[in-house]
Amino acid sequence: MLQPLAQNIIYGILIGALYGLAAVGLSLVFGVSKFLNVSHGELLMLGGYASFWVFKLLKIDPFLSIPLTIIFLLLIGFIFYRLIFSRLIKLEVEKKIQNSLLVGFGLSTILQNVALRLWTADDRSITTAYSGLSFELAGLRLPAVRLISLAISVVALISLQIFLKKTFTGKAIRATVEDWQSASLMGINIHRVYLLAFVIGCALAGVAGTLVSICYSIDPSMGLNWTLKSMVVMVLGGLGSMIGTFVGGIILGVTESATAFFIGGNYRLIAGLLLFLIILIFRPQGLFGTKEGDR
Amino acid sequence: MKSKFGVALVILLLVSLMATSCAPKAVETEAPVVTEAPATEAPAETEAPAVTEEATYPPAPEFIELGSSISLTGNFGSLGNLILPGYQIAVEHINAEGGVFVKEYNTKIPLRLTYYDDESDPTKAVSKMETLFSEHELTAYLGGGGSSMHAASIPIAEKNKVPYLGISFALYKIHQQGYKYLFSPFPKSPNQTEDVFKILNEAIPEGERPTKVAVFAYNDDWGKEWGGLVKERAPEYGYEIVVYEENPVGVNDWTAAIQKAKAAGAEMLLTLPIFPDGSGMFKTMAELGWTPKFSLVIRAPEGVNWGESLGKIGEYVTIFPGWHHGAKFEGVDKLNARYEELYGRPADLLTGPAYACVQILAQAIEKAGTLDRDVIRDTIASGEFSTVIGKVTFNADGTGNVLDPLIQWQNGKMELVWPAEHATAPLIYPAPAFEDR
Amino acid sequence: MKKNLSFVIALVVTAALAAVPLFVKKDSLLTYLCMILLYVSLASSWNILGGYTGQVNLGHSAFFGLGAIATRLLWFAGWNILLAMLVGGLLAIAFALLIGSPAFKLRGAYFTIGTLALGQILYATVGNLFPQISSMPVQDLISYTLVTRYYLFLAVALITVLAATLVANSRWGLGMMAVREQEDAAESLGVNAFQHKLLALVLSAFLAGLAGGAFAFFQIGYYPQYPFSPIWTLDSTMMAYIGGTGTILGPIIGAIFFVVLKEVLSLNLAEFHPTVFGILFILVVLFLPGGFMGLWKRIKDKQQKKRESMAELSHP
Repeated sequence: MLQPLAQNIIYGILIGALYGLAAVGLSLVFGVSKFLNVSHGELLMLGGYASFWVFKLLKIDPFLSIPLTIIFLLLIGFIFYRLIFSRLIKLEVEKKIQNSLLVGFGLSTILQNVALRLWTADDRSITTAYSGLSFELAGLRLPAVRLISLAISVVALISLQIFLKKTFTGKAIRATVEDWQSASLMGINIHRVYLLAFVIGCALAGVAGTLVSICYSIDPSMGLNWTLKSMVVMVLGGLGSMIGTFVGGIILGVTESATAFFIGGNYRLIAGLLLFLIILIFRPQGLFGTKEGDR
Repeated sequence: MKSKFGVALVILLLVSLMATSCAPKAVETEAPVVTEAPATEAPAETEAPAVTEEATYPPAPEFIELGSSISLTGNFGSLGNLILPGYQIAVEHINAEGGVFVKEYNTKIPLRLTYYDDESDPTKAVSKMETLFSEHELTAYLGGGGSSMHAASIPIAEKNKVPYLGISFALYKIHQQGYKYLFSPFPKSPNQTEDVFKILNEAIPEGERPTKVAVFAYNDDWGKEWGGLVKERAPEYGYEIVVYEENPVGVNDWTAAIQKAKAAGAEMLLTLPIFPDGSGMFKTMAELGWTPKFSLVIRAPEGVNWGESLGKIGEYVTIFPGWHHGAKFEGVDKLNARYEELYGRPADLLTGPAYACVQILAQAIEKAGTLDRDVIRDTIASGEFSTVIGKVTFNADGTGNVLDPLIQWQNGKMELVWPAEHATAPLIYPAPAFEDR
Repeated sequence: MKKNLSFVIALVVTAALAAVPLFVKKDSLLTYLCMILLYVSLASSWNILGGYTGQVNLGHSAFFGLGAIATRLLWFAGWNILLAMLVGGLLAIAFALLIGSPAFKLRGAYFTIGTLALGQILYATVGNLFPQISSMPVQDLISYTLVTRYYLFLAVALITVLAATLVANSRWGLGMMAVREQEDAAESLGVNAFQHKLLALVLSAFLAGLAGGAFAFFQIGYYPQYPFSPIWTLDSTMMAYIGGTGTILGPIIGAIFFVVLKEVLSLNLAEFHPTVFGILFILVVLFLPGGFMGLWKRIKDKQQKKRESMAELSHP
């Protein structure tokens, strides 16, 4: 009983880390610029396809091609920001959330359709020579590709944290999250900060997409589910806290796995969301959020 | 200034759009993608021996109209994109010979297929079905893909009293509603769940059979129907279900179920996942070190993307897709050749049954000798048709009596392994363990 | 004067819509109008809570779905369809009351995502409990008439728009808008924010429940889970936004724009219609940040200014 449970929890953590990584990008963008980008899931999909094609056509290992994916998504993010999102920054907060929802909706329609036309509706997945390998430890199996994925998520998160805490630009981003008006009074170039946060958010989505394409599969219509999941995880962890978001993802992953184990797969989604609502009732600002996070 | 220009631009765009929507009907009917007869077929008509009884026949319609609301985008897009070419190639082949001879008009009339993308949205499917019926003098509907889409469309065909031929759904329950205009030349859950045990007992000597069965089902109606039938049939053939697990569609983490199957020593896996769930399932099975000796996986491995995506992990899986391009029936070569020209590979699994739908319809129209939909309906119900999926007859509930071949993934290709007279390769059993591949 | 004019226009439009089945015999066009009316109801009912009261609810499909499932079950059990729909609406209200007090503890994005989760929970639960297709019995198909459905959709849309208009112009409506602008300030002025939000939620839920009932009566075969799909919420939210939230006409215009544009594109452009739709959609949002009604307001404001400056000129 105990060992199968432990095995299940391990998978829950590994899946949860993916939820977390996907949500961190969304959370960063929302925290800084109040853009609720509902095309986040589609950005994740683009990242997944980028790795898939690099793997298929150039035979480059998907983990090694992550820098390429990041560059690709930074570029995409830059284009989207310049063409579309930069036009929303002058709006007041409510209108900004509303209009970013709208353009994100339009964008996700476009990206889905383009992906479908370019790459067909077929689902894809990356299977490397070492996919399926596992290490045995005390009778538990630790799957290689998922462990590497976890490691990459953690590295991405720590780099982001170091960037936000130690560099000037990073501090500017954090200042903007807390209070953009004072930040701009202090001479921070808000536009640059918005742009930077946006493209970093896109890059994080791209990395998450790569990991999803390795551990699971990708297809043109996968975006909505990942967007919805990311939004829940973002709020569960608490707006404004990147570590909190990541931890929120892991909590959700473990809850789902444990439910599947004890009650059955039919209730895993419901249990995860119920836990989320219960947490919100007791902590309306999320697990690690600050009181002002909602504005 | 800039924003003023923008506003003007948007208004202009909108006005032009409204204008297109209000334009006379001609634009609308022209615009949808239509597979028309090649212009060269005209002489064939004049040659027809229309001399015998002149002027006693009414003027023939220009086309025999077929309509399809099909998912080309959205969740069922991958199915629709395999089905549609089957319809199109069949129409092309029949029209190349001048069309279908209709006695009522004493001439050959070409087929015309009009289709709309329903975006995998059941309410859109309903409105597209109605649009097809209103805009064209339909002779028959051709179905899309996915049981929920069929569930929404079939009643519209029934309401409009138009024969409906549909494939790519194994849900048997739809056929028990009493629909009279529905015909499906495709294996259904009762066939699949019985055939798997029959084939195993025929192909594998007693004592080596994978008698301990794990079933990974879904909690939707097809999953429950299918799982229930498996539970019922297994003991009759000497198999024991040791694990029965259910998930909602779209959950790609089957860790808990796989652990249970491994612990119970299950030797066979019966499941029906959509692709994301199936690929997640098999990757996790490899990681957790559980290799079933035999696995029947309906749905997920039906496209070429299964082999591309999963490589060795996806090998030795078997499927009941209703057809295979290796089947030795008349016309298969012609279909394969055309498909190869268009897509660079032999016809896909769903393409054959789709092609057969049009063949059945054409033969029924010819036999009926009229475009009267009720007569055609009766002719389909009572006739026997020879198609690329073999001889087809229909039961009273609209299910087809069709061959249900077993396909297995071997060396990155799908091979037909049963029945023996059509087989392109022998069944590989037991499947080698994941770590030894 | 002005009020009378809009009243007359509304009457004329209503009469015209009521007369449509006399002239339109094509089922395709009627089906299509049914869809527009359904979305008008959904977007307008969403607008009462999301637009006027400023509580962006991403769980709207839950109310739609509850209305649909209750209506369907009762109707199939032999109930009168109107009575069944009423029960559907009441079930939606019951759910609204159940979730109201915990949900309104949440503010801003937390409320939005919280309601999203609620909608998703219902979606999954209904999928678990009612996995079977719900199909109208074949013998009933012969008596299926689209015109009846059309009038039902029309009635629900009219009730929804009328209710929204009445509430928006009442003291309650003013209170709701005060809550939207500045919740704390409204409280200090003696507006009970919770009561106003709850009223908006209940009304919004009831009307969405009625729309669900009409859908259950209209759609011949579907999975009971389907009306709970987040797509319904997303679509109606987008319609209200693009038309202009917090106005009566906005969601109506949004729904018409959305449905007509999508249909026209999908009939005329085969494969890239979603892309063109997405591009047009984004262009409209970028150039009309307040939706279509925002544009209208801007034009009126400008005229107002012109008139004022003219008035100044004439009275130096």
